Amino acid sequence: MSELTQQTPEGGTPIAGENPVYLKDPVLDATVRMVVELAAQVWIERERRITLESLLEAQGTLSRAAIESFKPDAAQAAALKRERARFIEDVFKELRRIPPTA
Amino acid sequence: MSAVPETLPALAERADAAYLDFVEGFREYILGKGADFEDRLNEALLAEQVRRGQPWGDVEQIREYVHSLPLGRLRDRLSRTQQEMKWFALRRSFEAQRAELLAELERYDTRGPGRLELDPNFVHPPYVNVHFHLQPGGYYKDALSGYLYHYGTKVFFRGDNDHDELHSKLVARVPAPADGRVERILDLACSIGQSSTAFRRRFPNADVTGIDYSAPMLRVAHRRAVMLGDEVTFAQRLIEKTGYAEGQFDITFAFIVFHELPLRIIHETVREAARVTRRGGIFAIYDFTGTRDKSPYQRYHRWFDARHNGEPYSQDFCDCDMNAILADHGFEVAAASVGQRSGGAGYMTHWFATRV
Ligand SMILES: C[S@@+](CC[C@H](N)C(=O)[O-])C[C@H]1O[C@@H](n2cnc3c(N)ncnc32)[C@H](O)[C@@H]1O
Repeated sequence: MSELTQQTPEGGTPIAGENPVYLKDPVLDATVRMVVELAAQVWIERERRITLESLLEAQGTLSRAAIESFKPDAAQAAALKRERARFIEDVFKELRRIPPTA
Repeated sequence: MSAVPETLPALAERADAAYLDFVEGFREYILGKGADFEDRLNEALLAEQVRRGQPWGDVEQIREYVHSLPLGRLRDRLSRTQQEMKWFALRRSFEAQRAELLAELERYDTRGPGRLELDPNFVHPPYVNVHFHLQPGGYYKDALSGYLYHYGTKVFFRGDNDHDELHSKLVARVPAPADGRVERILDLACSIGQSSTAFRRRFPNADVTGIDYSAPMLRVAHRRAVMLGDEVTFAQRLIEKTGYAEGQFDITFAFIVFHELPLRIIHETVREAARVTRRGGIFAIYDFTGTRDKSPYQRYHRWFDARHNGEPYSQDFCDCDMNAILADHGFEVAAASVGQRSGGAGYMTHWFATRV
C-alpha cells in the first residue's frame, strides 16, 4: 500500500508514512501489533462462543459431549482451513511490514 | 416508543462486528483510565517542567521528552494500531458486500423526503486529498466512503453516538437568533448528515440544507435522512464557496470541520459564512480546543494526531485565534467556553457567533 503517500495536503503538519516505527525497533512494533491483534481474535471467539452457548442452551438442542465428539466432514474441514488461514493472516500480516533493511 | 431505524450499515459477518467491538473497547481503554496514559504522561510532563524550572516551549520540546519515555512510545504505537485495525476490518467487511451496498445507495438516491443534489462536474481542490484519520481513500475517493465513515465514527465516539446522541445534544445547545426567526439552516461539511437531521427535528418547519464536497458522504446522508423520515436537502458544494445567495440562512453550523481545513480555507469559510448568514443570524461552531487552553499532554496529542492520524491542518487550527477571525468577518462571539472532555469527542470548544 502506498496510498498514504499519494495525498496532497496544503501546508500543515507533515503526514507520517505508511509504517512509522514508534518503538525504536520495527520488530518490537510488530510484536505489539500482533499482541493486540491476538486479543481481538480471542474476543471474536469468546463473543461467538457466548452467543452460541446461550442460543443452544435456550433451545435445549445440544449437549457438551456433542461438541467434544464433533468430526468435520470434507467440506467443513476445508472451511476450517480457510478460517485458519484468515486467522493467521490477521495476526501475522504485521511481519510483512518489517523492512528488510533497517 | 417506536423503534429507530438502524441506519448504520450492516457488516458482512458477526466476526467483523465483534472485531470492531473489540477495537472500540480497546480505544476506550487506551484513551481512558484503563491504560491511564493521559494522566500519567501529563504528570510526568508537569514534573519535568518543574525540574527544568521553566514552562514547556514549543511542541517539539514536548515531543522529544515524551519520546524519551517508553510509556510515551508505547502509547503512540497502540494509538496508531487501533486506528489501523478499525479501517482494516471495516474495509474488508464492506468490500465483501460492495455490490449490494452500492445498489442500496442507488435505491435511495432519488427517494424522498428530502433531496440529493450531486454535481457531476464537481472538481475536488487538491487540499481535500488527505486521508483524515487514516480513512482509506479519505472522505471521497471510495464510493463507500460514507459507509466507512459512519461505522468508523461510531467506533471513534466509543458508544457515545451510536444513535446520534452526541449530534442531537450539540445541536440542542445552539442558541436560536435573538428575534426567534429560524426558517433556513445550513449545515457546513455535513458528512453523513447527523447534525442536519438533528436540526430538522429541532426546527421541524425550517428548511435544512447540508453541504459537503464528498458525494459518497452525501449519498449516505440522504439515505439516512430518508430512513429516518427527515426532510433535508443534501448538496455537493464547497463550504468556502457555497454559491448560495447573501443572507439566506438564519443558522449556519459547523461541527468539527475547521480543524480539517488549511488556514487559508479557514479564513475563506468564515468569510463565506458571514456572507450567507443573515444579520442577527447565528454561526455556531464546535471544534477542537485551542493550544492555549491545553495541558502539555494534550499539546503532545495534537502533534501526534496531526502527524500520525492524518490531521495535517489541526495544529495550525489549534494555534490560530478563531475569536479574532470571526470578529474580522463581522461576527460577535457570544460564548467561547473552554473545552471540556466531551466523551468520545475529546476536548472541544464552541463558538456561538452572531452576524452583526
Ligand atoms: C469530520 S467531518 C465533519 C462532521 C460533520 N459536520 C458532522 O456533523 O458529523 C469532515 C467533513 O467535512 C467535509 N469537508 C471538509 N472540507 C470541506 C470543504 N471545503 N467543503 C465541503 N466539505 C468539506 C468532508 O468531506 C467531511 O465529510
